Amino acid sequence: MPPRGSLRRSRAVAERAARLVGHYRPLPGVADELIGSDGRIRPHWQRFVHTMAELGGRELQHRFSLADRHLAESGVVLRVYGAENGDERPWPLAHVPFLIAPEEWRQLEAGLIQRARLLDAVLGDAYGEGRLAADGALPASIIAGSPEFLRPLVGSEPVGGHHLRIYAVDVGRGPDGDWWVVSDRTQAPSGAGYALENRIALAQALPDIYRAFNVERLAGFFQAFRAGLNALNRHEETRVALLTPGPLNETYFEHAYLARYLGFVLVEGEDLTVRDDTVYMRTITGLKRTDVLLRRLDADFADPLELNPASRLGVPGLAGAVRRRNVVIANALGSGVVEARAMMGFLPGLAERILGEKLILPNVATWWCGQTLERDHVVAEFDRMVIAPALAPTLPGILARGPVLGANLSPEDKAKLIDAISRRGQDYVGQEAVTLSTTPVWRGEGEDARLEPRPSILRLYVAQTADGWKVMPGGFCRISDRADARAVTLQQGGTSADVWVLSDGPVAETTLLASPDKVALRRATSTLPSRAAENLFWLGRYVERTEQALRVVRAIARRLVDVEAGSGAVSRLVSVLTSSGAADFEKGPAQPARLALAALTDRENFNTAPRLAEASRRAASVIRDRLSPDAWRAVADLEILLNRPLAAHTGSDMHERASEALRIVAAFSGLAQENMVRHNGWRFLEMGRRIDRGLAVARAARLCGLGTGGAELDALLEIADSQITYRIRYVMQAARVPALDLVLLDAGNPRALAFQAERVRHSLSSLPGHAPAGILAPADRLASRLASELETADAAALDADTIIGYEQTLMRISDEIALAYFTHRRPAQPVEGGD
Amino acid sequence: MLYDIRQVTEYSYASPVPFARQVLRLLPVDRPGQRVVACELSIRPQPTERHDTRDFFGNWLTTVAFSFPHSELRLETRARVLVEAAEAPLPMLTPPFELIRRNAVAESDLGPQSPVHFLFPSRLIALDEVIAAYVRKSFPPGRPVLDGAFELTKRIKADFKYDPSATDVTTLPAVAFAQKAGVCQDFAHVMIAGLRTIGLPAAYVSGFLRTEPPPGRPRLEGADATHAWVAVWCGRETGWVGLDPTNGVFAAEDHVVLAVGRDYSDAAPADGVIVTSGDHTLDVAVDVVPVGA
Repeated sequence: MPPRGSLRRSRAVAERAARLVGHYRPLPGVADELIGSDGRIRPHWQRFVHTMAELGGRELQHRFSLADRHLAESGVVLRVYGAENGDERPWPLAHVPFLIAPEEWRQLEAGLIQRARLLDAVLGDAYGEGRLAADGALPASIIAGSPEFLRPLVGSEPVGGHHLRIYAVDVGRGPDGDWWVVSDRTQAPSGAGYALENRIALAQALPDIYRAFNVERLAGFFQAFRAGLNALNRHEETRVALLTPGPLNETYFEHAYLARYLGFVLVEGEDLTVRDDTVYMRTITGLKRTDVLLRRLDADFADPLELNPASRLGVPGLAGAVRRRNVVIANALGSGVVEARAMMGFLPGLAERILGEKLILPNVATWWCGQTLERDHVVAEFDRMVIAPALAPTLPGILARGPVLGANLSPEDKAKLIDAISRRGQDYVGQEAVTLSTTPVWRGEGEDARLEPRPSILRLYVAQTADGWKVMPGGFCRISDRADARAVTLQQGGTSADVWVLSDGPVAETTLLASPDKVALRRATSTLPSRAAENLFWLGRYVERTEQALRVVRAIARRLVDVEAGSGAVSRLVSVLTSSGAADFEKGPAQPARLALAALTDRENFNTAPRLAEASRRAASVIRDRLSPDAWRAVADLEILLNRPLAAHTGSDMHERASEALRIVAAFSGLAQENMVRHNGWRFLEMGRRIDRGLAVARAARLCGLGTGGAELDALLEIADSQITYRIRYVMQAARVPALDLVLLDAGNPRALAFQAERVRHSLSSLPGHAPAGILAPADRLASRLASELETADAAALDADTIIGYEQTLMRISDEIALAYFTHRRPAQPVEGGD
Repeated sequence: MLYDIRQVTEYSYASPVPFARQVLRLLPVDRPGQRVVACELSIRPQPTERHDTRDFFGNWLTTVAFSFPHSELRLETRARVLVEAAEAPLPMLTPPFELIRRNAVAESDLGPQSPVHFLFPSRLIALDEVIAAYVRKSFPPGRPVLDGAFELTKRIKADFKYDPSATDVTTLPAVAFAQKAGVCQDFAHVMIAGLRTIGLPAAYVSGFLRTEPPPGRPRLEGADATHAWVAVWCGRETGWVGLDPTNGVFAAEDHVVLAVGRDYSDAAPADGVIVTSGDHTLDVAVDVVPVGA
């Protein structure tokens, strides 16, 4: 007999479990994940519900919020498509995973691999001999009519033999409980990175459940995929590159995330160039041959020369490099052709013809209206069909926004559509209307929470690896908000859930970090594209400029509140603001409060704190793969804070806002100093900061430090953050020569100009190419000269002209860095000499 | 008829172009009814890279790159081409257009001559119901395809005004149709858009016209520059037939084919990506002279 306490406890658990599922009612005529066709809870869900009940609603709620916080802190967001200025929403994680039992998974896995083999073979034929069309197995019109049939690639066989290397399938469970393929994604499938993030968030929030359920791990899949691509990287001059359309793309976060996770270089089209049919990356050390691209850019945009001439995102000449087999693109350019819906109608026959096998995983029944019998059938069964564009995602007219359900059309629209189908049937398919299965979602608060059924669809992934095709044991489940939705996309709202593939026994622990191919030393791990270097440099400059503006604003605010602090220096401080462009010079120093407020909150002038924070965030957003999530968070927080309206326009409020923002900057600086590896990327960030700090301190010294007024010198020491050092060192009122010595010449003071010059010189000397043929490059020469000038200067002899000279040198250093590392258009550049 | 063809294209850039990459379709190839006896394309300055290949539709595709600053670019084509146009099929004896429409979709050939490539919207030519309504007037039920297409060719010649100032190289067919004016490229695009929308395969052809007409015939419009016209698929037996809506005639012995594609973007004589801040001017001169004339 069990002890009484445990009995009470198990009764409470049973009650909680009953509350969770007691009101759960599957929708009529729809299969459900929780409740089987026999009306009982499926065994694996039984266990899961029991575990949830054991934890209790309040505890689960807490765990789920941890997962949400993890996602927010990792910067996982959903970009709203088409939004101009980065409208991002929190990632909508559905907290209850989608569970798949082991035997069911084996069936799915076999079906997915078969389909990958089949589509890869169809692609090989479409871009090769065209036998399938010639023999009548697949209408030539379906291939030729697809906007993704890219004729410049016809006749080119990809290196490695596969058009498809990463393939995604949307599958749903039909009313009979069987799985159906709803659509194929062969162009550049998205979502694998989100699947990973969902997994990490949920596994951290529910570690005990996750372990107890023997959930198949995802890392092994990514490891194999990565190893497969790395094996194609024959020259290893650069790492494998992930080609992204850039930060305006809706899945850019995922591109950056995957690049970091897989150890690939994130590049945009302009990072690459083609010379003699060979692809090169523009890096800070010149052009480096690139063998492998993981493509997230739509193929048509990949080459403005031979594909879409309007593309500003591609690489001119890329198609030629593919034809010459000098680059591997995953997936191959043109692989989107098999995404056409019309293709689905022919896959069962093609499977038998090409593979000699029956299609394991059926797809949605599809009738292509380019054939007379099929067209007649679609027209006859119009009201029971989904009418969809056959070859492209949309068609002008009634299908301008995609498929429609025949029964939902008005009589006029129906007549119009039937007429269009009778004239150009080749543009249309009829598809069986699919009802998706429902899966449990968590609704309600704490102990009152319940599970409710919602329609869902799975996206599963297959990758080509060294050992052949491999299926990701997991995936990405999209769940509709509405109980009756037919098609589910995250753009239209809805949530996403992790997919747990359950194993019969314990699963092997793998992490990407321990993978064997990572252990091998790689010379090319430090590939730094010029564009990334440029953005790191400007991130450094903008963050520093933000800090400087904030320091001056805070110094002014303090003096406005506290007259004792020396209001005499206010007009000098205002001139520092105006000369840096943080406030409008025209309006003059007459109203310091207004000018300081403008520098802190205004968005009109370019160098105000909110605009600088925005510029920082923009620079950071294109190099997100190179920043830690915390560093990215700091930059994003800074922008959010500085763009928030100020509660009251008082001196104390301004002071408080500036201080709060400076704390975020300090956090960012700390992360950059303590957490970033001293690779070349870090050096550019560092040089950007040092140059702007040097400029700011020189300007402040010139405007506040050349008179004899103690108040001005105090202000200078304050904005140069050197008051404490000064007081310890001199124990006297601020005087000109010692103050100037401390903020300009003292190389031991991390705020002094001399320190900045030395750091810039040091960073430059650590970069590749700093002294070609033993002669210092221009930037190095300037930095060395500035450092030694400052080392030997006499504080008593400093005047405005000398200081302006220092500022000009810093600006020239910046220009020379840009010339040497950011652009490759300079005739004297040795890397260009080859052509 | 044997022709000597000379085409000179000269670009002049306001500021030097440090880097350029271009694709050129400036060399004719053998086609049904035409044989290229000799041809060459000379390029000044000498490009850093040059590759000559055939594109999908069989056109010569010359890819060039210049990685040094240049302010001018001169492209000169010289070719001797024998045009022996087959006798034009009798329009009334071609199959009804409905049959062509059906057969085109069902065609099993995926090769470059197949009508399947010319049935669907292409980069510059969307399907257009407004143009289709105009085109349909030439295709009453049962009309032989070429009979309808030739009538359409003559209607466009009659209804549209040849006006180089009305459009530019980027004008879309819908716009040219609305203003009923443009140049050969526009007329070809309009005709193709309409034919495809009603389900008939139509291709874009660029090429040259004989500069001076034979005695007693009027000078054709478009002889001073690269010309453009349309080819319509009239079934497997008859194949592709050239129709010139700018002049309202069949494309025959006076027409020399340079390139074929779905629209201008497939057949553009020069296309490319240049790094430049300034504007450029373009000058094209064409001479097509019968040998011995």
